[in-house]
Amino acid sequence: MARVRGAGAIEVSGLRKVFHQTGTGEAVVAIERLDFVIAQGDIVAIVGQTGCGKSTFLNIVIGLDRPTEGRVAIGGHAPYDDFERFRGLLATVFQQDRLLPWRTAIDNVRLPLELLGRDAGEQLARARAILDRLGLGRFERAYPHELSGGMRQRVALARAFVIEPALLLADEAFGHLDEVTAATLRRTFIDLARTEGNTAVLVTHQLEEAIDMGGRILVFGRPGRLLADIDLRTWPAGSVGGLRAEIQRMLQDNAADPRFGHSAKERA
Amino acid sequence: MNKDEAFRFPREMVIGLLALAVAWQILSLFVPPFIVPGWQRIGKSLLTLRMDFVLVTLARVVAALVVSFALGLGVAVLMYASTPVERYGRPLVRLLMAVPVVCWILFAVLWFKWVELRIAFVLVVVCAPVFLVDILDAMRGVSKDLRDMLRSFRPTRAQLFTKLVLPATLPAMLTSWKINLSLAIRVVTIAELVGAVTGIGYGLVVAQELFSVAEVFAWTLILVVLLFGAEAVLTRVEERLLRWRV
Repeated sequence: MARVRGAGAIEVSGLRKVFHQTGTGEAVVAIERLDFVIAQGDIVAIVGQTGCGKSTFLNIVIGLDRPTEGRVAIGGHAPYDDFERFRGLLATVFQQDRLLPWRTAIDNVRLPLELLGRDAGEQLARARAILDRLGLGRFERAYPHELSGGMRQRVALARAFVIEPALLLADEAFGHLDEVTAATLRRTFIDLARTEGNTAVLVTHQLEEAIDMGGRILVFGRPGRLLADIDLRTWPAGSVGGLRAEIQRMLQDNAADPRFGHSAKERA
Repeated sequence: MNKDEAFRFPREMVIGLLALAVAWQILSLFVPPFIVPGWQRIGKSLLTLRMDFVLVTLARVVAALVVSFALGLGVAVLMYASTPVERYGRPLVRLLMAVPVVCWILFAVLWFKWVELRIAFVLVVVCAPVFLVDILDAMRGVSKDLRDMLRSFRPTRAQLFTKLVLPATLPAMLTSWKINLSLAIRVVTIAELVGAVTGIGYGLVVAQELFSVAEVFAWTLILVVLLFGAEAVLTRVEERLLRWRV
């Protein structure tokens, strides 16, 4: 599939997102301010506690939500405003597999290709190839309810990779699986992303998962602000334990700060 | 549903119906036949019934349900696609649903001369709103998670509808067919009482005029069997179309 130059680079500037509660209309700050850049081909883990705006940020990157202030640009274009431009360029693996229950594994995987208008032969060949690569070749005719949680998530992974997206996003995609399955899938995710040269952004609340990604780690604090930007590739090999403790301390301090209570209500 | 469950003999239903039949027969021994006729009398009446009336009634029901479904689905899609259409349309649909069947029958007699049109009108005006409300609610209820998943791949509006909304709504459509089938069979009989010279409703009027209670029971029995048979067909269709369900 044709790769658009710089299509996976993400620029985040002055990003702020405020929601208004249904009924009361009370404003809730989900993202206070974010500024950073993710380069094309980067593998980035965003780590933070529940309520720090990780998923909100991801929804803005996907284009499902629009910023209240500031801007997110992928390859120079805003994913919400230029929604159609990102057809075939972006794919997401969600926390739950979100497979269509009425479609078999292979039909779920070929879905994005159907949306892109690829011919049936190509759809089948590519879907079959990626399923084989993920060890699900024997289960291509199985319905989601006939597969285990790990297998379903692998199908979801195949569905994301089948279009060879420039930007691959994962929203706590492996956190609910058992440790062994999660580690295997995480490894597959990274391998596939590296092979294809994708920009990959994995959102997680698990520090170990972020470290295991071995790329860049963005630490988010409440409410939606950047506490640290760490590049593991430049981090001394023997000092990951220290890094882990440092990030944990950062997150604990942020959680203990009374200004950033769990509800993170509007203070502006 | 696994195969064993799908083909399980409906023992409880058969025993229940047999018990009812036996109780009926015992009752018929103590009550005059013009109130509770025995199975022998009902059986004899069954043999004299015009079976073409059954087909006529069935054809009316099926045709009206197809039209009602098409109308209900069409309007549901319009309401789903346009909030103003839904805002104006919902109260009208609720109004239609609030009018009793007997009023629709009277309106049909007053408005239309042709008997078939009267029956079709009554059936469609009763069933189409049920289809519409069921389908629209199911469309509105499509999981936001699945909707977001699909939207992340940037489908066109038509793709979002055909790849997600329509298949997700299919179980509700089939349930609505079952509800409407039972509704239509009951309504068509009443509609046929007014002016029709064919169909089970007409057969019932004739039986009542002849004071033939056994024939009334025979027609009733046929109506029930018709409903059970149609429901069984729908269940098979449902099993086939929804085989992806747990």
